[in-house]
Amino acid sequence: MKGYKTLIFALAVITVIAGCKKYEQFPVDKVTINYVFDTKDSAGVNAQAFLYGIYAKLKNGHNRIGSDYLDAASDDAVSSALGPSNEVTILSTAAYNSYTVPKDEDLWAYYYQGIRSANIFINNVDVVPVLAKYNGYSIKHLWKNEARFLRAYFYFELVKRYGGVPLLGNKVFTITDNVALPRNTFDDCIKYIVSECDAIKDTLLTAPLANPNADSHRVTQGAALALKARVLLYAASPLFNGGNIDASNPLTGYSDFQSNRWALAAAAAKDVMNLGVYSLVPKYLDVFLTQNNPEIIFMREVDNGHNIETANGPVGFTAAVGKGQTSPTQELANAFPMNNGLAITDPASGYDPNNPYTNRDPRFGYTLLYNGAEWLNTPLQTYEGGLSKPNLGLQQTQTSYYMRKFMGYNESANSYSGHNEDWLIIRYADILLDYAEAQNEAVGPDASVYQALTTIRQRAGIQPGTDNSYGLAAGMTQDQMRTVIQNERRIELAFEESRYWDIRRWKIAETVMNQPRTGVSIIQNGTGFLYNNINVLTTKFVSPKMYLYPIPYDEVLKNPNMKQNPGW
Amino acid sequence: MLNRFCKNTKFEFQGGAYRCLKKYFLPCIICLVITAQSDVSIAQTKGSKQNAASGQVSGTVVDEYGVALKGVHVVTKRKTDSTSTDVKGQFALKASAGDVLVFAYKNFYVREATVKGSDTVNVHLIPTYLKSQDKLDVLYGTADHKSVLGSISTIYTNQLTTTPASLYTYALPGQLAGLYTQQVSGFTAPPTSGQSHPDFIGNVVDHNNYAPNDNNEISLSLRGQTPITVIDGVQREISSIDPESIESISVLKDGLSTILLGDNSSRGVLLVTTRHPEAGKPRISLTAQTGLQHPLGLPAPLPAYQYAYLYNEALQNDGKPAIYSSSDFNAYRNHTDPTGHPDVNWFNTILQNYSPMTSYRLNVNGGTQVAKYTISVNYLDQQGMFKNAPGSLYNTNNDLNRYMINSDVSVNVTPKFNVDLQLFGRVQQTTQPGSGYNNILNTLYTTPNNAYPVYNPNGSFAGTSLYTNNLLSQTEYSGYERTNSNDVLANLDLNYDLSSITKGLSAKGKGNVSFSSQSFINRSLQNNAYLYSDSSYSAIGSTVSQSNSFNTVSSARYAYGQGSLNYNRSFGKNNITAMAFYDYRSVVLNFDLSQVNTNQALKAAYNYDGKYFVEGAIDNSSYNRYPPGHQFGLFYAGGLGWQMGKENFIKDNVSWVSEWKWRLSYGKTGNANVDNYGYYNFLQTYSASQGYAYTTGTARSNVQSELENGLANPYITWEKAHKLDFGTDIGLFNDHLKITADYYHDRYYDLLQIRGASIALLGASYPYENIGVNLYTGGELSLTYQNNAGNFNYFITGNASIQASKVVYSDEEPTPYPWIKHTGEPVNAIYGYKAIGIFQTAQEAASSPTTTGYSAQAGDVKYADLNHDGIINQFDITAIGNTKPTFFYGTTVGFDYKGFSFSAILQGVANRQILYDNGLVNGFEGVGFLGLVYSGQGYNVLTNRWTPETAATATMPRLSLGNANNTAWSSLYVRSGNYFRLRNAEVGYSLPAGWAHKISVSGIRIFVDGENLLTLYGYKGVDPEVNGIAYPIQRVFNAGINVKL
Repeated sequence: MKGYKTLIFALAVITVIAGCKKYEQFPVDKVTINYVFDTKDSAGVNAQAFLYGIYAKLKNGHNRIGSDYLDAASDDAVSSALGPSNEVTILSTAAYNSYTVPKDEDLWAYYYQGIRSANIFINNVDVVPVLAKYNGYSIKHLWKNEARFLRAYFYFELVKRYGGVPLLGNKVFTITDNVALPRNTFDDCIKYIVSECDAIKDTLLTAPLANPNADSHRVTQGAALALKARVLLYAASPLFNGGNIDASNPLTGYSDFQSNRWALAAAAAKDVMNLGVYSLVPKYLDVFLTQNNPEIIFMREVDNGHNIETANGPVGFTAAVGKGQTSPTQELANAFPMNNGLAITDPASGYDPNNPYTNRDPRFGYTLLYNGAEWLNTPLQTYEGGLSKPNLGLQQTQTSYYMRKFMGYNESANSYSGHNEDWLIIRYADILLDYAEAQNEAVGPDASVYQALTTIRQRAGIQPGTDNSYGLAAGMTQDQMRTVIQNERRIELAFEESRYWDIRRWKIAETVMNQPRTGVSIIQNGTGFLYNNINVLTTKFVSPKMYLYPIPYDEVLKNPNMKQNPGW
Repeated sequence: MLNRFCKNTKFEFQGGAYRCLKKYFLPCIICLVITAQSDVSIAQTKGSKQNAASGQVSGTVVDEYGVALKGVHVVTKRKTDSTSTDVKGQFALKASAGDVLVFAYKNFYVREATVKGSDTVNVHLIPTYLKSQDKLDVLYGTADHKSVLGSISTIYTNQLTTTPASLYTYALPGQLAGLYTQQVSGFTAPPTSGQSHPDFIGNVVDHNNYAPNDNNEISLSLRGQTPITVIDGVQREISSIDPESIESISVLKDGLSTILLGDNSSRGVLLVTTRHPEAGKPRISLTAQTGLQHPLGLPAPLPAYQYAYLYNEALQNDGKPAIYSSSDFNAYRNHTDPTGHPDVNWFNTILQNYSPMTSYRLNVNGGTQVAKYTISVNYLDQQGMFKNAPGSLYNTNNDLNRYMINSDVSVNVTPKFNVDLQLFGRVQQTTQPGSGYNNILNTLYTTPNNAYPVYNPNGSFAGTSLYTNNLLSQTEYSGYERTNSNDVLANLDLNYDLSSITKGLSAKGKGNVSFSSQSFINRSLQNNAYLYSDSSYSAIGSTVSQSNSFNTVSSARYAYGQGSLNYNRSFGKNNITAMAFYDYRSVVLNFDLSQVNTNQALKAAYNYDGKYFVEGAIDNSSYNRYPPGHQFGLFYAGGLGWQMGKENFIKDNVSWVSEWKWRLSYGKTGNANVDNYGYYNFLQTYSASQGYAYTTGTARSNVQSELENGLANPYITWEKAHKLDFGTDIGLFNDHLKITADYYHDRYYDLLQIRGASIALLGASYPYENIGVNLYTGGELSLTYQNNAGNFNYFITGNASIQASKVVYSDEEPTPYPWIKHTGEPVNAIYGYKAIGIFQTAQEAASSPTTTGYSAQAGDVKYADLNHDGIINQFDITAIGNTKPTFFYGTTVGFDYKGFSFSAILQGVANRQILYDNGLVNGFEGVGFLGLVYSGQGYNVLTNRWTPETAATATMPRLSLGNANNTAWSSLYVRSGNYFRLRNAEVGYSLPAGWAHKISVSGIRIFVDGENLLTLYGYKGVDPEVNGIAYPIQRVFNAGINVKL
């Protein structure tokens, strides 16, 4: 009897314990890598979603730096929100150090995240049995090459900021890996990016796209070649090629000058031109407003909308609210020639300081909104006290100019309407200018250099003149031609994140940025106007250290192998 | 008085049954008392007459319930004769008229009684306030207090019941050595929204802050760690048990005492043991009490004219035009224009000074040797401090309404087999105003006196475009929100004596299932306010009609099973105990997966002659949230003890030493807190981005993306500790004086941290890894003295703890500046800039370093530029407070004289600092949408601001609106957090037994007690514990009656 009870007791205990054994060990809703790169998914849905995540790392340059364009930190513009804590103002007044680089330009960790994602994709996509084909092979090979392109592009974004950076190859680090890596040399980085571009260029979509409806955002063969051209152009530029800020330091550039680097850059640009699939669109503004136009080589797809107008449109319009964020400088205004192609400093140009905005290069009006420009059915008032410069203590233009570029055709509209706002990363005009610059440096101002510039100027709407020169003087020296090309680049690519880097790679930042930024104060005088130049911001550039960004402060402290850039 | 409060408590129509229950609760209890009393009066009359012989005095000794006490030592004061009571409580000894008899019994006050004309002396003994039990409650059992080698502090029922509060944790401050407490809120904070999927998936699930823990008012820290609550052998975070039904609360502080928790043994245990059934006639105790709560530490708002003046000054300091004119000041000051120039003290407008709290408790205990039982029923109603609208049909004030029942039936099925079934149920309802009391408090603290009048001339609620929701309307006319919580807990204990197999062997089994659910009813509404200007009214804000929604907040299921084989036997002077132990605990919170914890342990202890002790335990413990294959860990502990007081050299030489034990314990313990640092974070996971990542093609198709989540840590494991405790227990002068002292050295290691070298080249965020090391050391001392002078029984007990902590290793980012490092500093140090004064001149301001991008003026805070780089930034941050060991102490004093009793608990903290840097002290906080308008309330402290005139005495920087430089965390705002409180006091009187008998009860006690009666502050501005925008701490005056049958 007693044993019987003991038995029941023991059984009861065992039942209680055994009964509790069954429970789920892992949450089924946790997504692991087998799900992302699924060996059974012949559509590759999740793998492609992962690729989109890498694409999403591309930056949209519109009002990217704390609501300003990066070029508002160059000599082309200032932020209307002048204030010491404004990000572009910090950049243009040299008010940063290695731990206070404004966050939107503190992209070291950001691009290494992109590189990691690309490596995960590159290492794992092979297992996905994607059925869709392109040119007879699985489309996953295209995807993989797109990831490699993006990775190369991320490296380029790092190299232009920091010089040589650590190259990770295909490595995806785990928790136990030592990531205290040293930097690779500048040369290594350029070679790596170029070799990646070469390796992938033949297994990518080609322009013109068969199905732009689905694919217009994707990396193409032209994009790979164009990236290579841009990278080689940077590598050949004075900052790295002969003008290394730390002459013997392989991290910050080459130790010598080689003219051949220019030749390589010119050849690379020529390769893109030789594809024969890209061309300048007839109307300058359409480049930015039309999707899938033949000038676009690579872009960051954004959306339709009128955010650009809301942020940068002139103040004072109640039906079309604009915050007037960007104030282009007088320096940029002066860079535009007259519509005969002659610079305003040329006595023959016909420039009238009392009517400074008439008969200018049409791009002047495509890029800037100036006093009297037609906008929203009214002539813009940026004179003192005018509708768009009311001086009420609210944000308004600092220079009497507003930015016009990227906006829709609102001259005779009543309010802003949506339009394409994609951010163009490389367009055909870049390639022509890259070519002109590289060829001029490598060979001199030969006919092909003239041809490239003429093509650009023609599309811009500059009058060809009787000699079809579009205002370009014949027989320029290499130096004269360099000045012309640099100016052409400035006005053609204004606000496209070109100028900010160009003044660095040309090593002219120490000159142009150590001058005050100017605007104009316009006084209404009866029916006419009086124009007075005013200083709006004292910019500053500390040479040579500011030619490269500092490696983030923490990274140097945490990583004993990480060498800081000179001067920081 | 009682009735008045009952009437004030309003219940709306929905809770009809509820209202009935409430209405008839007291009558029911009274009926119960009356029906029970006939039994009692019989019991009372039985022992009152004795057969007396000449020169012989006899009588009966009973306790408060009239239950006979056996073994009471009775002696004549002249020591002529002595005896002990028998099982019926009866005694007889030689004494004559005029002799004084002394009755002494452990845990009861000494009672003297004079033999008068009669030869019968019947005596009632009253239990002592402080108890000392032979058997101590330890984790999963009891142990002889003489053989305990761990560090344990215990308090008993009487030390809990003097505190009028909603939770027993209110009674803990100052009473348990080593337990540091801080009250953080004066009212329960009911959860109102359910946990959503993302709360679990990919996010941190902080179980301690999660709803099933009902204690969100008093934060507890035991030797620096938050203790785990174990109630009757089961881990459950319940703090609302009726103190009268609690036998004892202990804190288990060292590794040996907690080792059976295995991978959770690091944190220390708050051990709650409810009252066990005792055989005997039914002991019925009924307590009714009601109290008034009064909020403490509310800030003093500036009157409107002063506010306007200071606001103007702030504007001027910021270079902006003033907005108030001198006629405005006059209107504010003289209250000539209450509509246009209001001066409303919102605290007085929406808060009541005194709010009632009422509770009834019924405890019944009794039974036979075969079956014993206890039943405890408890009702509590605590009202909040908000005013209710007159004539409102339902209550909108904060209200906590709770019914609890706890029953325990213990049955000896056979002489060797005992079954004990405990059932616990709790039904709790928490109400708050429809806007939520936290929102109201936020608005209350930030609304200036001159913001708007309460009512417009036409009687509508006033408001402005900035203050669109009238505060009074929010408080009284916003409907209500209600959280209902229901808990059921069933506990089955099986004990089987296996001495038939071998002597001293027994088996124990335990099963526990509990369920807890919370739901939320939303009946809130919102009214708009009206802006009155130019004799017209325009509606502002928005109206929201009364909602009627219901949602589940949480649902939790706990299951616990335990089995053990115990062996307990003596061989001559050799005493052995041993245990083989297994337990299994599973927790399911909402739809989360089970968390399963198991322990397999062996524990053994040996002592020789009660002199030399050795004990050891080993626990193989698992938790299923660790990587497969790494879920089991081994934890172990051991202890040594020496009862020096039993050695001959003590016994023979210093006989006044009754006990002197040395004890040493060590434990390697664990803390399975992985859930607080991520969800299954040993698995590398991926997830879709929130929203669309990218648009593709000219069609602009929105596409989802998959992204890698933060890096997994497949090596993650529990945090661990080496815990060392060295202590001594001393009893002197026949145990009248007791001393306990402890020193501990707890080294916590493998603490989860993110590595300092979190290099960005990884391309992902680093996970938490087992890196850190913290050291906690400290000492505790408790002294207790109890004695009597005749019928005057008195006691004093005090404890003091000192606790130092140090970050021994923290994998910090390398830094060139040593002062930034946390390593070497106390764990809870405060970091910020070092304020070195206030700039007195513009010149000084211009020539001194200041924060990035800020141009300082005279009157701004001056910070130390520690690295001399001419700028104040993150490199100038250093430890600015709490760098010294914390010292906290408490003392309880009291006496009892012929049923008249007094006790007081004093408690304090020293070496404590708080960073008090917020809108209440800085003034003019941002209010309105996104907090963009700097026009919040200002308080008295602003009058200490810097002005050129008050430069010498100013303690605050110049006034300014939204000034980030002057409100940066700095030593300027580090205040003394020291305090000394008269935490609790009680005066009680037990009516003479004869009086009680006249109304046929055993005993009646009336009492008056109070909470937070007096505070000495370190920093006067705010309450040292509950500060900032929180429900204030309450002073409570309470009166009650206790009837025993």
